[in-house]
Amino acid sequence: MEFNKIEKLLERYDEGRTSVAEENLLREYFLKNEVPPHLSSYKLIFRYTSEQKDERLETQTKMGSSSRKIAWSSIAAIFIVAVGLYFFNESSQDLNQNDISSVSDEEMAIQKTKETLNMVSQLMNEGTADLVYLQEFNKTTNKILKTD
Amino acid sequence: MKERTFLNIIDPVKDKMYRLALRLLTSKEAAEDATQEVILKLWDRKEKIKHYANVEAFAMTVTKNYCLDQLKSKKNSHLRIVHQNYESNAPSLQSEIEVNDEMALLGRIVEKLPEQQKMIFQLRDIEQYEYEEIAEIMEMNQTAIRVALSRARKAIRENLIKKHNYGIQ
Repeated sequence: MEFNKIEKLLERYDEGRTSVAEENLLREYFLKNEVPPHLSSYKLIFRYTSEQKDERLETQTKMGSSSRKIAWSSIAAIFIVAVGLYFFNESSQDLNQNDISSVSDEEMAIQKTKETLNMVSQLMNEGTADLVYLQEFNKTTNKILKTD
Repeated sequence: MKERTFLNIIDPVKDKMYRLALRLLTSKEAAEDATQEVILKLWDRKEKIKHYANVEAFAMTVTKNYCLDQLKSKKNSHLRIVHQNYESNAPSLQSEIEVNDEMALLGRIVEKLPEQQKMIFQLRDIEQYEYEEIAEIMEMNQTAIRVALSRARKAIRENLIKKHNYGIQ
């Protein structure tokens, strides 16, 4: 190719008006031939752009499988939780109903309540019995403090 | 769409996506992650992809936007992306070292270009896309792309000549 044709192409290249085919012509010319020093910058650029195209993505692309696994395991988890909640509610309802039905008539209910209250107060008394020792503290403080 | 057909569509584009990501993000790991991320995004939208006339351009646009988002979030958190790809120190011939130096210098010059010019330079001079395709990928009109490309080409050459003159003088 004549040299002045190359120079004309370069001018248009700088303006961004060359086609891809023309740019490939230039690239080929600069990669194969020795060029005068004032054009050596073009030679470097063309070399750079053709070298950069060799860069490749080395890692293998994989998709779907990982996110799909997560999706399935979350579905399974939700299912287990839902089933668990359902059975828990069922059994607790049973318990409540048994409690109510076990005490059928009112007198029995009163009797039962009395019994439980008695038991509670007994336990309370047992608890306070142990607190007698605390009286000692009061005695000693009374020794220190003047009490009218 | 099956995984096989999807991969057949993506395979020829994925290196181009990776190179665009590499141009913008500069570290190989970040570019690999970005490409992987974008492919997953496309996979999620696989049903819609069928309706796009130019899947390749769409994939490149998604890559571009994803990388720009990455850069934005990095800037916001005051993180700088550090170039992590150190050259190997294996001994080689003097001339080879010189050429490698020139290539590394060019890489640094391109890296300093504004993002838009960088991308257009990548798409045109390295990937050799037609102007219509670049316009589709960049979501810009063709005239603006020609202007930006011309600026990028001139800037690269001016910087290169400047560096060379420093070396001589």
